[in-house]
Amino acid sequence: MGRFVLRRLGLAVLTLWLLATIVFVGAHVLPGDVGRRILGPFAAPEAVATLNHQLGADRPLAAQYWDWLSGAVRGDLGESLSYRVPVSSLLGSAVLNSLKLALVAFVLVVPLGILGGIAAGLFRGRAVDRIVTVGGLSATVVPEFVSGIVLILVFAVQLRWLPVTAQAPAGSGLGTQLRYLILPAIPLVFVLFGYIARITRAGMVEALEADYTRTAVLKGISQRTVIARHVLRNALLPTIAVVATQTGYLIGGLVVIEFIFNYQGLGQLTFQAAQKLDFPLLQGTVMVMGIVFLLTTLVADIGYSLLNPRIRYGRTE
Amino acid sequence: MEELQHRVDKIRAGRTGLDNQLIDELVAGRISRREFIRRGTVLGMSLGVLGFLAAACGGSSTPSSTATSAAGAVRKGGTMTVGIIAPSAAVNPLTVADEGGLAVLGQAGEYLTWSDDKLNLQPVLAESWSPNADGSVWTFKIRQGVTFNNGQPLKAEDVAKTFKTHSDPKGGSSALSAFAGVLKPAGVEVVDDQTVDFNLDAPNGNFPYLVSSDNYNTIILPANYDYAGKYESSFVGTGPWKMTSFKTGAEVVYGKNPSYWQSGSPNLDTVTLKFYADEQPRVLALQGKQLDVVSQFSASTGQPLFNNPGVKVLELRSVAHRQVHMRTDKEPFTDKRVRQAIGLLLDRPALVQGLLNGKGDLGNDSPFAPVFPSTDTSVAQRAKDVEKAKQLLAAAGKSSFTVTLATWNGYEIPLLAQTIKEAVQQVGGTINLNVTNPSTYYGSAVFGKSPWLDSTMGITDYGHRGVPNVFLSAPLTSAGPWNSAHFKNSGYDALVKEYVAAIDVQAQKAASKKIEELLLDESPVLFPYFHFHMSGTQTNVAGVEPTAMGHIRLTKTGFSG
Repeated sequence: MGRFVLRRLGLAVLTLWLLATIVFVGAHVLPGDVGRRILGPFAAPEAVATLNHQLGADRPLAAQYWDWLSGAVRGDLGESLSYRVPVSSLLGSAVLNSLKLALVAFVLVVPLGILGGIAAGLFRGRAVDRIVTVGGLSATVVPEFVSGIVLILVFAVQLRWLPVTAQAPAGSGLGTQLRYLILPAIPLVFVLFGYIARITRAGMVEALEADYTRTAVLKGISQRTVIARHVLRNALLPTIAVVATQTGYLIGGLVVIEFIFNYQGLGQLTFQAAQKLDFPLLQGTVMVMGIVFLLTTLVADIGYSLLNPRIRYGRTE
Repeated sequence: MEELQHRVDKIRAGRTGLDNQLIDELVAGRISRREFIRRGTVLGMSLGVLGFLAAACGGSSTPSSTATSAAGAVRKGGTMTVGIIAPSAAVNPLTVADEGGLAVLGQAGEYLTWSDDKLNLQPVLAESWSPNADGSVWTFKIRQGVTFNNGQPLKAEDVAKTFKTHSDPKGGSSALSAFAGVLKPAGVEVVDDQTVDFNLDAPNGNFPYLVSSDNYNTIILPANYDYAGKYESSFVGTGPWKMTSFKTGAEVVYGKNPSYWQSGSPNLDTVTLKFYADEQPRVLALQGKQLDVVSQFSASTGQPLFNNPGVKVLELRSVAHRQVHMRTDKEPFTDKRVRQAIGLLLDRPALVQGLLNGKGDLGNDSPFAPVFPSTDTSVAQRAKDVEKAKQLLAAAGKSSFTVTLATWNGYEIPLLAQTIKEAVQQVGGTINLNVTNPSTYYGSAVFGKSPWLDSTMGITDYGHRGVPNVFLSAPLTSAGPWNSAHFKNSGYDALVKEYVAAIDVQAQKAASKKIEELLLDESPVLFPYFHFHMSGTQTNVAGVEPTAMGHIRLTKTGFSG
C-alpha cells in the first residue's frame, strides 16, 4: 500500500507540472494581453505597453514560465496581475469558501443519493424505483442556473426564508453560515442525486443477484443482515468512485452557482483569471483544482482497495 | 422689476465676455433654459447664478434638482448596503477602466467637478473655472480648507500632479486616450496656491468635462502619492467616505470621513459596497431586500423591478450606445448608398421597445444623442423605409450581397445583430453572424489584430460620456484609433475640429448640424439607439445620486421615515 501511495503521489506531481505547462501555453495562445484586458479596448496603446511592462508581461515567455515554476516549487505562487495581491491570499479564502459549499452539498446529497439508490434497488420495478430513477434523472438535467434562480425566487424573494446570496457576513457563526449555504447547495443536490442514486441502484441490483447473496440467504441469514453485511458492502464500491470524482466538480466547477449566489469561490476566481489572462492567478487556481482531483481520486482508490480485499494495488501480478 | 434688472446687470458686470455672450443667447431665445444652464456650468458659472439668470432672463423656473432619488426627509445615521458591479481588477486610480472600479473610486475620492445626471457640471474640488478667449487655456480655482483623509491639506500642486500623471504618455493611465491631442503634462501649470492653469494643445470648449467625474480616473490625490503603490491599502482622498475594510473581489466598507469639507455630510454612518460579478444576483438581492441600492441594471435583466411596488427605479437618459460599423473601404459598403440602405432597414422605435423595454432614445446615425444640448434636433430622424432601401441598393448594383457581422455576446447585442440580419434578408442581402466573447472581439484593440477594427461589419458597445468629443473623433475621424468603419473624410475631420474648438453654444450647434447631416449622408456607422442607465433602491432609501457613467454618489443618501 505504501509503495502504491508513493507511486501515485509521484505521478500526481508530474500531472500537476504538465497541467501548469498546458495552462501557461494555453493562456498565451489566447488573443490579447493582460494589460489590454485590464485597461480595456479603449485605452491608449502607450498606457497598455506601460502596464504590461510594470507587470512584467512583456518579458520573454520562457523567463515568465521559469519565474513562475521556480517560485511555485518554493511555495510562492506569485502576485495576481489583475488584483495585484499575492495569489495565495486570493486562493485561501476562495478554497475555504468552495470547501464549505462542497461540504454542505455533500452532506445533503451523499446520504440522500445512497438511500434513494438502495430503496430503488430493493424495490426494483416498483413505484419507489421509478420515482428515484425518473425523478433523479429529471433533476440532473435541470441546469444549475435554472434551479438556482427558481429556488432564489421562491425561498429568498417570495417566502424570505433563506438569504439570496451564499456569502454570510464576515464573522458569522456556523449556524448562520449554514443558513446561507443551504439554498446554493440544493441545485447541486439536484445535479448529483440522480447520478449517485442510479450508480448505487445498479450496484444493489448486481449485489442482490450475486451468488454470495443467494448463498447467504440459503444459509438462513435474515434479510436485514444479508443486506447490511453482504449486499451493501459490495453495492457501494462503485458509488465511492463516483462520489470521489464529483468532489473535484464540487470544489472547482461551480462557476454558475457561484455567480448566481454571488459566492467568491474557486470556480468564479478561475473564470475571472482566465478572462483577464491573469496567468499567475489562473495557474494557482488550476493547481489547487488539480490537487483536489488527484487527492480525491487517491483517497477513493485507497478506500476502494480497503473495502474490497480482492483488489490490492501495487501487489498485483 | 427694476430691482431684478439691477441684479442681472450686476451679475453681468462681473462675468467674462463669453459668459455675457451666453446670457445674450438666452435673452434672444436662441438657446433653451436647459442648454443655458448646462453650458453655463461648463464656463464655470454656478448653478445658483444660472438659475437666477434663467428665471430673470429666459424663463420662470429654477434649475431642477440633480439628485435623481429625491433627497426628501432623510434621517441621519444608519448603515446601507449597495450592490455594484465587481471591479474587474485592482482598484487603482491609474488603471481603473470599468464601472465597478470607478464606482469605488468615487467614494473616498473626489474630482475637480462633478458631471451630474443632467450633464451639468457642479463644482467639487474646483470652486470656479473659466476659459481664456479662445478656450485654449482654462483656469481652475481650487477649493481652500480641504484636507485629504490622511490629514494632508489639498493644494494646487496636488491637482497639477494628478493631471500631469494622467496625461503623461509614459504614465500608464487609462485616461490617457481622453487627453490625447488635448493636454500634455507640460501644459498643467500651478499659478499660485489656489490656481491651476491648463494650457491645451488646441482650443477646447468642453475641457472642464475632462477634469470632471466623466474622466473617472482623475480623482485628486496628494502630490506625494505613489501611483505605482496599492491604492486599496489606503483609499486616500478628499471624499465623504473613509475605507474601514476592503476585501478583494467581495466588498469595501466605509465609515464617515471625519474631516470631510462639507459639514454635516454624509448622512449615513456606514456604507458597504458589495461586489457582484453578475447582474442577475444584484437584481435578485434587491428584490430579496438584501441590498438597499443597486448601482446599475439593464432593461432586460431588471424587468422584474419595473412594476415592483417595493422598489424605486432611478432612470437616467444616457448617451451609452451600440455602433454598427460598415467598412467604407470594403465591399459591399464602399458605396454609401448601401450603407444608407442598411440604415433605412432598421425600425428604431421597435428596437428600443423590443430590445430595451422602451428604455432608450432613438439614434440618428451620429453620436449626437438627444440628451446632448448641442445636438441639433431639427435634423430629420432616419426612419424605416424598405422601398427606398431597395431602390438605393438597386442603384448601387448591390441587390444581393453577403457579409459577415462580428460582435460579442453581451447585453442585447446578439439580438440587435439578429434583427439587422433579418432586416437585411428582406432586401436580398445575407449577413452571417460571428458572435464571440468580448476578449476575442476586441482582440489586441489595434488595427490588424482586432475583429472590432478589422471586420467588414460589426457591433461595438460604447459607454456614457458627458460630451460627444470622444465619440466624434476616435471612431470616426481619419486618424481615429477606434475607426472600425475605416471612414476617411477630410470634410468631416475639419468639422470635428470646429466643433471641439467652439466655446459658445451657437457655434457648437452650427457644427453639430453639419456633422449630423454629413454622417447621415455617409452613414459609416449606424447609431440605432442610446440606452438609459438604470439604478434601483428600496422605497425607504432617498438621496442616491447615480450617473450614467456609473458613479453612485452617496453623500446625501439616507433612510427616509
